[in-house]
Amino acid sequence: MKAAAGDRWVKVWDRPTRLFHWLLVLLVVGGIVTGFVAPEWWMGVHVWAGYGLVALMGFRLVWGIFGFEYSRVVSFVYPPRDTLEHLKGLLLLRPPHHVGHNPTGALMVFALTGVLLGLVVTGLLVLGGEEKQGPLAAVVGYSVGALAKRAHFWLTMLLLAMVAGHIAGVVAESLLTHDNLVRGIVTGWKKLPPGTPVPSPRSARPVLAAALLAVLAVAAGVTLHGLSRLPPPPSLRVLARNVTYQKECGACHYAFNPSLLPASSWAALMSTLREHFGEDASLDGATTRDLASWLVSNAAETFDTESANRLRVVAADDPYRISSAPYWLRKHASVPPEVFARKGVRTRVNCHACHRDAESGRYDDQAIAIPKE
Amino acid sequence: MRLSHAIAVTIAVLGLLAGSTSSADPRRDAILAELLAQAKKEEPGFARFAADRGAAFYRATHQGGKAGTASCTSCHGPSPLDKGKTRAGKDIEPMAVSRNPARYTDKADVEKWFTRNCQDVLGRACTAREKGDFITSMMGQ
Repeated sequence: MKAAAGDRWVKVWDRPTRLFHWLLVLLVVGGIVTGFVAPEWWMGVHVWAGYGLVALMGFRLVWGIFGFEYSRVVSFVYPPRDTLEHLKGLLLLRPPHHVGHNPTGALMVFALTGVLLGLVVTGLLVLGGEEKQGPLAAVVGYSVGALAKRAHFWLTMLLLAMVAGHIAGVVAESLLTHDNLVRGIVTGWKKLPPGTPVPSPRSARPVLAAALLAVLAVAAGVTLHGLSRLPPPPSLRVLARNVTYQKECGACHYAFNPSLLPASSWAALMSTLREHFGEDASLDGATTRDLASWLVSNAAETFDTESANRLRVVAADDPYRISSAPYWLRKHASVPPEVFARKGVRTRVNCHACHRDAESGRYDDQAIAIPKE
Repeated sequence: MRLSHAIAVTIAVLGLLAGSTSSADPRRDAILAELLAQAKKEEPGFARFAADRGAAFYRATHQGGKAGTASCTSCHGPSPLDKGKTRAGKDIEPMAVSRNPARYTDKADVEKWFTRNCQDVLGRACTAREKGDFITSMMGQ
């Protein structure tokens, strides 16, 4: 390596830490792209980016204890005095040199860790509460999930700002110290001016790290297994097929899961079957009563799925039509009319044409498959 | 005993009329026999159902009903031999007995659909003669 006279090259970032950094970049970019840009049915990829983040942070935590000197958390916990010193140096455009993370960079590391941890936690809450998927599906209610979604969004905004700050910091530090920090995190080597104190580094303890990682992995596995065995609450029950409902209502239109309309809509709709969306759909008294009571007792208010929570709010001027509900319209606004006219879809009320899990009433993002024709 | 005798004769006559092309079903025959008795009560001197009248009724554009469903063909399609389609996009099995032997064998079902669809297409209930003609026509196709 070419160096100015007296410059010292020091191996700072070991291979696992470099790999961690770039995998983290990959997962964060992947999470942002699948969260903001990709269509709904890519949610599975977004969730796996989240799980990847958990694994990666678990590893980094362990490597922060047993890794090579500069990967260890204790090596970049600075007293406030050093941090102030470094910040002052930055303002004067001559920041003091540090072998590993400098104090300002260390602050960013801790802040990023906190925000990423927050993103993982809120992500799991959204996944369990709103989507009714993942380890917390049986535990977290929809309202908590909805709240977590807002936090997840604002934490992402914060993360984007911090990523911008991180990149700006790297560029600034690189220019001011004449040491390309990006090259450092690629090759592992940093260039230090003569006279910079380099402590004798503690070497990595990979066996201990692997052992602790294995313990953590087993603990995580046991926890996940336990959570996955929790019985779903009644608000996530799976309705048995109602033969009468399928025969009578399903004769003319797709037999919607009862959780897609509130009880008031079902009751009113079942008492006006003679004028049912422009057609006479009258039934004998006993059948009407049976179906009405089944529909009302399984109406949107009795379920905690995302669709049941959202479709409880009906259009004031069209309260029986699921496809007039504000949420329905919002979610389908980006679907061109041509899609609804396709042979495999035919009408807006053929839910199961695109939602493979329509009968269950769940309407998972990953279960969307729009027919090509 | 005379009424049941008359019904039996009617069934036999209808069987001769329709049995050549359609699979006979005692439940359907009973439905038709009941409609015939009713038609005779509604129209003194009425003799028997006619397939051609039923076929014309199926194709006709009627008045008094809803604009979107002025004819049986609006949903059932031009030919009773083929599947139709509801306005909500569901298939309707063919109306012709030859294509769908289960047709007109469940009395409650037959009543339910005549009640609904006559209201939508004609704006009134169908007469026993219209219903009988219709079923007779579908048995011959």
